[in-house]
Amino acid sequence: MANYKVTFNHKAEPVVVKSGTLITEAARLAGIEINQPCGGQGRCGRCVVQVTEGKVRQRSTLRLSSEDIGLGYCLACQSVIEGDLSVLVPEQEKVERRLVTDRTAVEVEPLPGYSPEYHQSLRRYFLDIAQPNYEDQTDDLSRLQKHLRVALGFEQVEIPVTLIKKISSAFREGNWQVTVYLDISSGEDGISLIRLVDIVPHHCENDNPIWGAAIDIGTTTVTLWLVDLWTGFVHAQVSEYNAQIRRGEDVISRIIYADKEGGLQELQQLIVGTINQLVELACKRVKDYTVTPEQILKVTVAANTTMMHLFLGVPPSYIRLAPFIPTFNQAPLVRAQEIGLHVNPNAIVDCLPGVASYVGADITAGVLSAGVDDTDKLTLFLDVGTNGEMVLGSKEWLVTCACSAGPAFEGAGVRDGMRATTGAIEEVWIHSETYEPTYRVIGGGKPHGICGSGLISLLAELFMTGVIDKAGNLNTSLSTPRIREGEHGMEYVVAWGKETVHGRDIAITRVDIDNLLRAKAAIYAGFIVLAQSVGVPLEETEQVLIGGSFGKYLNIEKSIQIGLLPDLPWEKFNFLGNTAVKGAYFALLSQENRERIREIASKMTYIELSADNTFYEAFMSAMFLPHTDINRFPSVMEAIQSVKVPIQS
Amino acid sequence: MALSGIQIYKLLPQTNCKECGFPTCLAFAMKLAAKQVELSACPYVSEESKAQLEESSAPPIRLITLKSDGYEVKAGNEVVMYRHEKTFYNKPGLFVKIKTSAPEGDVKTLAQRIQEYRVNYVGIELEVDGIAVEDDANNPERMKATINAVRSMSKKPLMLFSRSASSLEAGLPQLSGETPLIGCADSENWEKYAELAKQSKTALAVIADSVDGLAELTEKAKSKGVEDLVLVPEGKNLGHELILQTQIRRLALKANYRAVGYPTLVFCQNQAQMAQSIAKYAGFIVIDQFAEELIYPLLVLRQNIYTDPQKPIQVQPGLYEINNPQPTDPVLVTTNFSITYFSVANEVEGSGLPAHLLVADAEGMSVLTAWAAGKFDAERIAKAVKAANLDEKMTRKRLVLPGAVAVLSGEVEAELPGWEIRVGPREAVDIPKFYKQVLLVN
Amino acid sequence: MRTITLGALPAEGGTRKRVVTVGGETAMPFMRFEGEIPNPPVVAIEIKDRKPEDWSPLLIETWEDVIDDPAKWAAAAEAAGADLIVLALSLPNRNGEPTTPDEAVASVKAVLSATGLPLIVFGPGQAEADNTLLVAVSEATKGERLALGICEDKNYRTIVATAMANGHLVTARTPMDVNLAKQLNILISDMGLPLDRILMDPTTGALGYGIEYGFSVMERLRLAALQGDKMTQLPMIVTPGFEAWKAKESKVGEGVPKAWGDWLNRAINWETLTAMTLVESGADIVVLRHPESLKRVKSAIDELMAAKAFVS
Ligand code: SF4
Ligand code: FES
Repeated sequence: MANYKVTFNHKAEPVVVKSGTLITEAARLAGIEINQPCGGQGRCGRCVVQVTEGKVRQRSTLRLSSEDIGLGYCLACQSVIEGDLSVLVPEQEKVERRLVTDRTAVEVEPLPGYSPEYHQSLRRYFLDIAQPNYEDQTDDLSRLQKHLRVALGFEQVEIPVTLIKKISSAFREGNWQVTVYLDISSGEDGISLIRLVDIVPHHCENDNPIWGAAIDIGTTTVTLWLVDLWTGFVHAQVSEYNAQIRRGEDVISRIIYADKEGGLQELQQLIVGTINQLVELACKRVKDYTVTPEQILKVTVAANTTMMHLFLGVPPSYIRLAPFIPTFNQAPLVRAQEIGLHVNPNAIVDCLPGVASYVGADITAGVLSAGVDDTDKLTLFLDVGTNGEMVLGSKEWLVTCACSAGPAFEGAGVRDGMRATTGAIEEVWIHSETYEPTYRVIGGGKPHGICGSGLISLLAELFMTGVIDKAGNLNTSLSTPRIREGEHGMEYVVAWGKETVHGRDIAITRVDIDNLLRAKAAIYAGFIVLAQSVGVPLEETEQVLIGGSFGKYLNIEKSIQIGLLPDLPWEKFNFLGNTAVKGAYFALLSQENRERIREIASKMTYIELSADNTFYEAFMSAMFLPHTDINRFPSVMEAIQSVKVPIQS
Repeated sequence: MALSGIQIYKLLPQTNCKECGFPTCLAFAMKLAAKQVELSACPYVSEESKAQLEESSAPPIRLITLKSDGYEVKAGNEVVMYRHEKTFYNKPGLFVKIKTSAPEGDVKTLAQRIQEYRVNYVGIELEVDGIAVEDDANNPERMKATINAVRSMSKKPLMLFSRSASSLEAGLPQLSGETPLIGCADSENWEKYAELAKQSKTALAVIADSVDGLAELTEKAKSKGVEDLVLVPEGKNLGHELILQTQIRRLALKANYRAVGYPTLVFCQNQAQMAQSIAKYAGFIVIDQFAEELIYPLLVLRQNIYTDPQKPIQVQPGLYEINNPQPTDPVLVTTNFSITYFSVANEVEGSGLPAHLLVADAEGMSVLTAWAAGKFDAERIAKAVKAANLDEKMTRKRLVLPGAVAVLSGEVEAELPGWEIRVGPREAVDIPKFYKQVLLVN
Repeated sequence: MRTITLGALPAEGGTRKRVVTVGGETAMPFMRFEGEIPNPPVVAIEIKDRKPEDWSPLLIETWEDVIDDPAKWAAAAEAAGADLIVLALSLPNRNGEPTTPDEAVASVKAVLSATGLPLIVFGPGQAEADNTLLVAVSEATKGERLALGICEDKNYRTIVATAMANGHLVTARTPMDVNLAKQLNILISDMGLPLDRILMDPTTGALGYGIEYGFSVMERLRLAALQGDKMTQLPMIVTPGFEAWKAKESKVGEGVPKAWGDWLNRAINWETLTAMTLVESGADIVVLRHPESLKRVKSAIDELMAAKAFVS
């Protein structure tokens, strides 16, 4: 039999292998370990390499785009060597970006052609104030007002007492030169009310940053972006679990807690506390400047309606009681100090408008940032959070609904769940014969827990390999020590204690599986009801945009396999990361966008799921893997047949 | 064809002006599609759109109302073949037959029993709807006398059946101001009966053994100006009757065949026929025996079949005993959502351990949903305990709350002095373990 | 709808004198003018392996002479006109100890020799006991084409496996939900048991206790089946006898409202009306407890089947 030379990564010394050898084996001989998450079964597509010279016979090209195949990419575990070769083994991260099933969050970019003076609402003016004397006995406040009127043409400027206190010293300290910050946000009726936000001595550098923050208050996760309004550039992105979690996992628990004596106040303090921490953290993260929280002058907030109420300290009681009427969908602008936010006390806090009790500003902001209101394509937009909120529509019309998915996809409410940060398992593959898992950890170190994407991936693998049946029951008759009786019933061990950070086993329990099933069923049922409500078949959707706290990564194929996402061609999906905070960021940067959010809120039609039992029906039918009606998931049906789940007894 | 929300939306102005009372035109369109609002609520619909939207409106099955002094029975207006598609609206009127050949004393007694029959089912008072006087004596005098005897005891709506128009003529003046039903008009006597119905403004029952026969009669009666018609399909046997009923309903709904767009009436002789008529499309049911032990289940069946299936599946709130519990055994509390109930009941049953399962009325919601909506709180739980009289029944007062509402334990304790309040597991599967490890230990 | 045969004749490896075939419908119940109704619904009588403690005194009285002997009871049920027998095993035996597999096998064998009708065997309804008892019964009666129950979504593997190995059928029970019913059928057939060996029990409430849900779920399952959904094309078995006799209306004779009328008649009406309503919604096998209800339901089914093809 013929022998061939194979060179890896341009190394000088090729290895010599027999004809018919797989690239993975040749690599091992060359001392290079190619990752084989699925155990070389040609299922995962993770062992991608690029053949730069020579030809191989490919048994399978699963998950590779035709473009990549043209460039010589192939699956190492499926490629048989039949000639001399030169092979490049790419880094894992680059592999993902190439796979048609994987999505990493789209990066943020400032608006094209951004100009601070034209787009956003904070204005900085350098004033030279006429000094008083014995003739001109005008007081400092009137002096400032006169200057604003005469030099800048602002007739009416709101100046709070806290700023009046600063005027005299600023004038004198700056030797009658001051910098003022004004907010010119236009109100609901289009009439501008000008607000003084800060006054400081001296003229600062013309291109000094003007700091603003965009915030998304999720029920489970809070995210904050620190933005230089002058350049539009995001300098820090931070997030943390909402400290209110200890008072209940979902909005309902929080509402009920808020009804208790002192509860509302406590929850308000907890959320503001979380945000204040994030502000500090974000300021520290900024590389090129020293930023203090007091320099943040404008804040836009996206949040679900309950969180918005709690953030402002407004009782949310009626949100949970039929017919579900919130106190407000659109709050007026407030000053930071009114709610205890530790940014500049006079900073303008703009709470973005929502639609209804269960469709808040996080969704309107998400729709904006995803551009759903601006597209001709029939779009399904989904924001996976503790509440799964979704929108169907296009430029012409928008319908929306919200379903209680629970925090499972945010890694909460699952025994070994965690946020998508360092140490989280974000992807799992299980060998279909040995039932041994391979996983990938964010940051590459030892695992600490499993994040939302990891849970989706894990559930899909458990199902595809027959470790669980379609109802989520663990198959106890398989011979593997990983399936065992745990404290909460049966469980499957993903990582043994010796592999983990904390030395404890990381496992998924039957209860976790139920939680995940419920979460995914609620979301899918939402799609069904939404589509039904307007009489548009779900299959007609032209694009699916996904937002949420999945971290940076989502596997579309796995999400379809568990029946979370509808079975549409992979290329129709796009993962946008946290769309709510991005929407808040857009609103922070542009008054036009801010106005668009208002329009979105007013034109979106809200479907109340509890109005009848169509949602319940759809939910029950989705409480199965991938779905009771398998015909809705033809690709999964095919995949199951190709994996050939062994018959269990 | 019914238009979808989006199709209707395209015919609306799309300005989202909110004047119709809905936040967007699409919201309004969806309500229109669901037939929950009138098109006229939007002042801005173009004439053209109006024409397109108004075509499918008139109800396919005519609403017939029988009236007497203080009573009313309705039938018709149904819109579906199967109750799960929406709901059945007007419960079939239940009438008991009284014969003119019966002695006056018997008539009075029976009429009185019918008038007074009242039974409580889950808090609802159920009653018989009316009396059908059958002129088996074929005698106008008897008809008149029987009606008077009935009326001396009962004011409920009447049906008058006779083979001769003269009996009806004699009877009807006794019922002035009422809307009874008269019948049955067949291919021979229809003309006279129709005239009578028209004159005295009664509803008219027409009888035939085929759909075509019935349609022919209704067309004829209509031509005489009688609008309120009731169909009596005369089946040769139970199976034939079911087929006729089904065909009539289907033609009325699916083919919009107006000639059979009326409620039906069945004369029932046995329980099978009664069950079938209630389940399958009768608008009125006439039974020829009055026995409490039959009337009660029939009224309940009718109530059940005509509940709105859009409401969540519920089990009867109350106390359920599992595995022969003693007054010392624990009381587990849960909600009356069927799936919740079943999962709890199955776990307890499967464990073989005795328990009282107290199902609180949470409007058919699961524990968490009900709690979220304020339908499963300490107050309701305490109410359920009282309603089941547990304070007296139980010698050891131990109440186990679902783990998902652990937060309620303090309030429940306050509501139920003398009770030991325990917090159970969150998931039903963990109940047996909890029972063995916690409840059995102390 | 699929056609399913219960019981096996000697020539087929069993000992039954008669087999029962259900299913095969191509239309909604009894709509013979638009499809085939090849097999009428059948009526089973439920018996126990020992005198049941929690049954209504009316039933105990009715079966008084045979209630202590499942074989005699089965013969009496056959004599009363049952099409098949449902034998429900008890958790504790006569002596209050858990029924052993041997005892269960003995009861089943006794019933099989006392009657020529096909047999359905239900475990006591507790997962562990069901599994051990039914496996023993299944192995001891290999080839009889019994139907073994009850498979539920949390406990089906063992029963399905033993039914598969020994040529029996299973009944799959789900709590009044179309989707759950379908899901369990999928889970069972995923194990490799052919669909024509699964009966589905969508459960029902009795009259007054949720019958409307059972009614609608069955209608919907039948409609879905007729639209080509394979996983709902299984014949349906329901237990109105069990449900109706659990109701206070049937169980209790004293201290009830006068408006409820005569106890015995009421109880029989309760069972009959529950059963008939379910027959109307598509039940293929109804399991009853009282011989009088059996008589009434059977005669109604005869009348329903008597309708000649009728074309409008
Ligand atoms: S009144 Fe007419 S135009 Fe205005 S929102 Fe309602 S449907 Fe639209
Ligand atoms: S596809 Fe090659 S290792 Fe998975």
